[in-house]
Amino acid sequence: MEPVAAFKRASASAKAGTSCTQGARFAELDDGELVVACRAGQSSAFDTLVERHRRSVYQLCYRFVGNHEDASDLTQDVFFRAYRGLSGFRGGSSLSTWLYRIGVNACLNRVSARKPITEELDARQHVDTRNESPSERVLRQERGARVREAIAQLPPKQRATLVLRMYQELSHEEIAEVLGSSVGAVKANFFHALGNLKKLLGGERL
Amino acid sequence: MGHLTPALLVDLAEGIKADQSVPHLAQCDACRRALAELRATITDVAWPGNPEHGGSDVPEPSPLFWDHLSTRVREAVAEQGAHRRARWFEAWSRPLVALPLLATVTAIAVLAVVTLRKPLVPNPIPATPLPILQSTLLPSLPPLEPLGAPDDPALALIADYGTSLGWDELREEMAGVSHSGGIDEAVITLSTEERQELQRLLEEEMTQPSALGAS
Repeated sequence: MEPVAAFKRASASAKAGTSCTQGARFAELDDGELVVACRAGQSSAFDTLVERHRRSVYQLCYRFVGNHEDASDLTQDVFFRAYRGLSGFRGGSSLSTWLYRIGVNACLNRVSARKPITEELDARQHVDTRNESPSERVLRQERGARVREAIAQLPPKQRATLVLRMYQELSHEEIAEVLGSSVGAVKANFFHALGNLKKLLGGERL
Repeated sequence: MGHLTPALLVDLAEGIKADQSVPHLAQCDACRRALAELRATITDVAWPGNPEHGGSDVPEPSPLFWDHLSTRVREAVAEQGAHRRARWFEAWSRPLVALPLLATVTAIAVLAVVTLRKPLVPNPIPATPLPILQSTLLPSLPPLEPLGAPDDPALALIADYGTSLGWDELREEMAGVSHSGGIDEAVITLSTEERQELQRLLEEEMTQPSALGAS
């Protein structure tokens, strides 16, 4: 969408209602229009962006750090950095790709600064397990913990590539944008990440 | 013939390319084995997880968490805005910035006051100042006292006022002693040019002893 048209639409949406109804109006806008509204000083537009992308950003962070507390802090940090850098968002890539880029950098900084802490099996008090039997829950947690520990030992680029491809389900092209590398390099990283993961998991069937 | 590249193996493992499209696979056991291991690892790592979590391995936080997260982000953003405003004020309140700024503002204010106190359009210089003086002012003036000497205090007073006081100061000085139709009132209503002309005439008169003596 043209920036001017997006700004007009976002501004009209912002002016049309009170603050109570702004959230609902912003929910109708796409990411580009919300960014324009944010730049125009509409803080509610950023709330909508957070609401829209918070789950995927949290999952990305969780897959890097392996525990809820750090993932929560990192998610907040990612959105805070995004808010500060919103003026620098050119719209060349999608907002989610841009948020992933911020998220990967934040996560790599975090995991390089400290040893990853994976949660104890019973420490996940935030997890919604209402529709899960105890045995299923334990099995799921054990498998998840083993894979996360193996992923945590991968080199940073391989780790980022694997997480973005396998769990965030980004295409190789999108991953290349996030990591600032070529598609061929992304595929090579993915190949080596899987090979290293196989060795780390000892060939056991999960 | 070389083995398949990692990128090509990834494409085959993910189904981006069909096995049949790569004839080398049918001839190379190593590449077939590498491809099979790759597919198995992808399957192992991409285990289905909990269907309730959309097949995700990430445990779903409680619904309250999302609200708390949004609130924390909103607070952090608001704090950032307040911090920016505080930094702006702090930057502007530094002595190196504030003092020159204060001096500039003061200078502008003084200049504005001085400018506003002066008439924007100067009074037009009358083409014939003396006839105006004679026809409009002099008839209403009381008869002048004869000038006795060059050091006459009345002349000295006018000369002093004409040279040392500003127009507004002169107006204020004369306000307390002027009366309607008096020479003092005539003096304070003169324009700058008229006043200068009057001063010149008076000085000229004072330098002519004969004229003083004749009166």
